[in-house]
Amino acid sequence: MGYVRGLRCRACGAEFPAVQLAVCESCFGPLEVTYELSAVRDSFRRADLAERPRDLWRYRELLPVLDESARVDLAVGCTPLRRAADLGKALNVREIWVKDDTVNPTYSFKDRPVAVAVAKAREWDLPAIGCASTGNLAAATAAAAAKAHLPCYVFAPASLEPAKLLVPRIFGATVVPIEGTYDDANRIALLTADRRGWGFVNINLRPYYAEGSKTLLFETWEQLGFELPDIIVVPLGSGLLMTSLEKGFRELRELGEVADPPRLVGTQAAGCAPIVQGFESPDGRPKPVRRPETVAESLAIGDPGSGFEAIQAMRATRGFADAPNDPDILDGVRLLARAEGVFTEPAGGTTVATLRRAREDGRIDRDERVVLLITGSGLKTPAVWRDAFQPLAPVPPNSAAVDAYLGGLHHG
Amino acid sequence: MVRLVLASPIAVATRGEREIEIEFEGTLRGLFDLVTNRYGKPFQQRIFEGDGALKRFVNVYVNGEDARYLRGLDTPIPRDATVDLLPAIAGG
Repeated sequence: MGYVRGLRCRACGAEFPAVQLAVCESCFGPLEVTYELSAVRDSFRRADLAERPRDLWRYRELLPVLDESARVDLAVGCTPLRRAADLGKALNVREIWVKDDTVNPTYSFKDRPVAVAVAKAREWDLPAIGCASTGNLAAATAAAAAKAHLPCYVFAPASLEPAKLLVPRIFGATVVPIEGTYDDANRIALLTADRRGWGFVNINLRPYYAEGSKTLLFETWEQLGFELPDIIVVPLGSGLLMTSLEKGFRELRELGEVADPPRLVGTQAAGCAPIVQGFESPDGRPKPVRRPETVAESLAIGDPGSGFEAIQAMRATRGFADAPNDPDILDGVRLLARAEGVFTEPAGGTTVATLRRAREDGRIDRDERVVLLITGSGLKTPAVWRDAFQPLAPVPPNSAAVDAYLGGLHHG
Repeated sequence: MVRLVLASPIAVATRGEREIEIEFEGTLRGLFDLVTNRYGKPFQQRIFEGDGALKRFVNVYVNGEDARYLRGLDTPIPRDATVDLLPAIAGG
């Protein structure tokens, strides 16, 4: 059973049945899943939600999986929304909440879209799945593939942090390390998926994959007592997370659950900011970056596939886009860790840095209720700290040596 | 021979043909003119905007390099080039 009506092109409005279609057949624009919202309204009730399982399938009416047995159960979603009072003091914001997706099964929000995409791959009986990835998606896809007993192929830049290339292999995936950037890996993954008939979650399963990410918005809404915040700060790689959140908002509004959208604020690293530059330009088109250079490698997508739509979402909600530099991003990671005990990858530091910058220049008001999306764990990216922390010299196991060590050391 | 590879969604413009070999040397624009001669107006209409620019959802790669980073439609196409036409979907 399901409430899916079909697919609709975000660019030209053409409609299609809900089949395996990567892009619009008419203009090649991005597709989104549509639902029979009048039918959804009858069963999607606040009181019932509380009784449902604590994973992303609690929003099943608004997810495009028809066959429940196709789901892979890794307990994805329902992550904590943490009240970040100390971070609020540090940044002079009255109310900050941290949506902590570092605690998903493979430590990033990517488990959400993958859950939906892999369920569709099983519904359609595809022979294998895969992805093009900057690391987080690789782990998420590989884990879900393992549980689904499907072969998995991960295309990633060979230069990724070693841990990010290792994790999918532990889950049994085949990693194809591509010489070049993420965009090179994506291009060749697209050609490979096409030639071999495999389901690549963020390529030819993309319209369905995108649906998983909007559960971040649904959860935030539910965890805030069925209210949306004033602002959501969203890290931008391809921009698809932003467009998914915006779609989630539209659905809640059409169901009569919410009225006004949160201001959607997008953030990228200065060393790879095609969407931010596009936001600032009159034509609103992303400005592709050929050679991204940033510690936030999970956001290092030079030619973002959903950038234009992400810019439209930010403009439509009176949000803005911002691009802090790498030192500010790492400061953001450290601040969040020390204020709230949450260790994020640099993408999360990017959201903290943007909030800090936006408070300094007034783009965000002290009294606005802010949600920061912390989309991945810092444990996958230890190498970015190599220069910031001196190597530790061994201390002999006696009190005098410890006193001498602590005496000569900056604490912290 | 120039090898033109179209991802399956784009291949609607070439009546489903996904790999086309063409004897050609010149510019990307010249190559597309030749393909338009072979597959007619529908190819042109699906790949180009009315003003002659490539549609924003179509990416063109010449020997693996995005044509936007080369010389766009003036990019030279050597006789043994591979040209990919792919939908613009990148990133998760």
